[in-house]
Amino acid sequence: MATREPETGWHGENSDVNHLRGRAFEATCLAATAFGLVSVLLLLLFVANDAFRPFSADAGWLATYAATVVVPLAALAVYYYRLDEPAGEVAYVTSGLPVVGLLLTGGFAVLFIELLSVLEWFALLISLVVAGGLIVAHGRLRPKAALERLAVVFLSPVITMFGLPPTRFNWFVTDTAAALGLDFGLYYRVISLREAILMLPFVPTDWVMLLLTLVLPIAGAAGWFVEKRRESRRDGLAVVGMTTVVAVLGLVAGPLLGIGTEVWLLLVTFAALPLGVYVEGVIRRSEGVRGLAFPVVAVLGVAAGAVATSALGFAGPNPWLDWGFLTSATSRTAADAGIYPAMVGSVMMIIVIVLTTFPVGVGAAIYLEEYAPSQGLMGKFVTLIEINIGNLAGVPSVVYGLLGLALFIRVLQWPQGSIIVAGLAVGLLILPIVIISAQEAIRSVPDSFRQASYGMGATRWQTIRQVVLPEALPGILTGTILALGRAIGETAPLLMIGAAASVRLAPNSFFDVASMMPRQIFSWSSELDPAFRHGVLAAGVITLLAVLLVMNATAIVIRNRYQRTG
Amino acid sequence: MTDSPSGGLSRRRFLTSSGAIGTLALAGCVQNTSRGDGSGSDGSGSDGSSDVLSGQVIIKGSSTVFPISDAMAEEFMEEHGNVNVTVDSTGSGGGFENWFCPGDSDINGASRPISDAEIEQCSGNDVEPVEFEIAGDALTVAVNNDADWVDCITFDELRQIWSDEAGVTNWSDVRDEWPDMEIERYGPASTSGTFDYFNENVVGEDTEHTTEYQPTEEDETIVKGIRDNEGGIGYFGFAYFNSNSEAVKAVEVKAEEDGECTAPSLANAKDGSYPLARPLFIYAAESALQREEVYEFIEFYLEQAETDIVQDIGYVPSSAEQRDENLEKLDEVAG
Repeated sequence: MATREPETGWHGENSDVNHLRGRAFEATCLAATAFGLVSVLLLLLFVANDAFRPFSADAGWLATYAATVVVPLAALAVYYYRLDEPAGEVAYVTSGLPVVGLLLTGGFAVLFIELLSVLEWFALLISLVVAGGLIVAHGRLRPKAALERLAVVFLSPVITMFGLPPTRFNWFVTDTAAALGLDFGLYYRVISLREAILMLPFVPTDWVMLLLTLVLPIAGAAGWFVEKRRESRRDGLAVVGMTTVVAVLGLVAGPLLGIGTEVWLLLVTFAALPLGVYVEGVIRRSEGVRGLAFPVVAVLGVAAGAVATSALGFAGPNPWLDWGFLTSATSRTAADAGIYPAMVGSVMMIIVIVLTTFPVGVGAAIYLEEYAPSQGLMGKFVTLIEINIGNLAGVPSVVYGLLGLALFIRVLQWPQGSIIVAGLAVGLLILPIVIISAQEAIRSVPDSFRQASYGMGATRWQTIRQVVLPEALPGILTGTILALGRAIGETAPLLMIGAAASVRLAPNSFFDVASMMPRQIFSWSSELDPAFRHGVLAAGVITLLAVLLVMNATAIVIRNRYQRTG
Repeated sequence: MTDSPSGGLSRRRFLTSSGAIGTLALAGCVQNTSRGDGSGSDGSGSDGSSDVLSGQVIIKGSSTVFPISDAMAEEFMEEHGNVNVTVDSTGSGGGFENWFCPGDSDINGASRPISDAEIEQCSGNDVEPVEFEIAGDALTVAVNNDADWVDCITFDELRQIWSDEAGVTNWSDVRDEWPDMEIERYGPASTSGTFDYFNENVVGEDTEHTTEYQPTEEDETIVKGIRDNEGGIGYFGFAYFNSNSEAVKAVEVKAEEDGECTAPSLANAKDGSYPLARPLFIYAAESALQREEVYEFIEFYLEQAETDIVQDIGYVPSSAEQRDENLEKLDEVAG
């Protein structure tokens, strides 16, 4: 067939194409982006300058550290970026892992100092394990009794954790036993396994309990991971064994370093173990090994800088954000003020939020995506609910604060300004966000997976539990962590529920009156002394931002892993 | 199929070996749960022997009294590290209405005496307020640093500025030689005791306080507003002026047209020559005073209120007689 002449010309055939509008539009968009980024960057630099006060140091101090730390690291970064990208990633991870590990160590140390003793943790964990064991054992012994298992799933944790309340049945048994001359049997209240452990006359020392309940399980998990990855049981056992040996070394090394055996155990578990596994993997794969130089250069640079500045007598800066700030309570003299109690308050609030919001939010998302009817009148109703959840995500946080005030304080009569109330109020605030992001994650599991599972004869429950949820979990976690990042910075609900302006003792129960980081920052903003508003406030903001950045970075890492495997 | 027996076998071996290790560890390293305290505690975990004071003291109320209470809390907690004294600034009225009278706080700071309505609300909840006068304040009227036209102002002129009656919008409406510039008013919110005091003593009971101003619970905001507006005027406790004396300019005040202009200062407030001098109070719930930690804290507070701590913050400390009177009252109520 001969080619036909086009009957009508294409648009612009007779004139030159005008690129001007397109270029102008592109330039406008670029300007908008640049404006936003630059103004945020300037703000952050401004706050960081107030918090760290780098220019209060001698010029020599700055020059020394620039020469020993900044220049070598910048050179390495340029090298990785231009020539060796895998090494760049290795450098990124090996620098980031210790930071996250140290933060986790700090978190657990705070947990053991403020919230519960090692013995209580030990008892709690043992009880949970026993409860889990009971559930698994029941599943093995009576795999068919689904309804019975439901009761076991709910009752066994309750019994091992809280025991049985005094009931007529216990009284009856005890009284009958006593009448028969037998002085045993149920007492008026059956104590839980947890309480029984707490009452033992002799328990292992703190470090043994930590080793058994924290180091070994995490080392075991790491070993299992390595074993799966390399298909070598020996390597997995080696990880567990070496971790245990290094942990036990802490008996000597901990006191020598002046940090105590317990802190050593935490450090080994959260910082050394992940770093060791990762570095070993890098070396074995010999992929991006040069990236390992980055943290080494950083540490050596800091050490060299410290030696050089002290030898030359250069005075360092006098930052507001220092170790004392992180570990002391607020004070009326700006130089002594710290954020520690508020930080503990924030951490405990996050615990409440995670424990309440995550199950509720994910449960709601699963129902809405997998079970809820999508057709007919009920389908319309479900659509209405989903629209309303979307709207709730946009409701101002003050309103949630009022809701918390009315519901938890006025109706339930819980103490004003307590952590549980703060956590629940802020939890309600992020609940719609958690639901929506979990829904997105579940929706992104391809329908073919479900069909395949049904095709194999699986039930809907089995499909959800074994196909949909594992596939959607990274997405759910990412969304939840980002929502938690919003939760930790919320101030208005805390003000509404009466979190106090000045709290100097870290809370050690969920019903204590506490302050949280944003609340503390807000109260510094109205202090008499200007040093609070410029220095201490900036230090508080940087601390909060650092916590947020770490949370967001974790979310990004989880998402990236998911994309790689998925 | 092929790897299941070997997996089971080594899992069993792993379990036995780890169990053995665990038993060894348990046998070797145990501690006594009574932890050497002796005194017959059966592991209840409350590591407080009875001479260590612990508990919680909740203070709400006036933002004017907040700096004093906060300082007292800090000093007190240096001696009694297990007592959690939390301080919050909610405004005198806000503290009474939302916290103290419902029984949610132990102590309420107030920059004015408790009102009859508040006493009624408290007694409806079986809260019996006990009043202690702890310090004196010189309520300070401040203007912008560039407002060189005003150095001294009368109660009558303040009344004109802070009520809607006179219809004043510009400085020139008040006094003819003042410039034709709009007045920007910054003041405490109506939950504040400072507001109540000013309303009662300057604006007058029969006149309404103006609503044409920026109300806030944060005195810092008032200072900022005045600093940034040439026509700004506002009032707050002396302590906030004391620590911001470069940011704004305090105005001398006279009660009558033919009176003497007096500058706000602690000395003038002490000798009574400053017309806007006022007492500051804390109110403790009688039932809360039965708790040892609250009693100890109040006792400490009343004793320290006579010292330089209060002076350093920018208030007039209570006199020695005032202190003794307060302590006597405390003994009477709690004893």
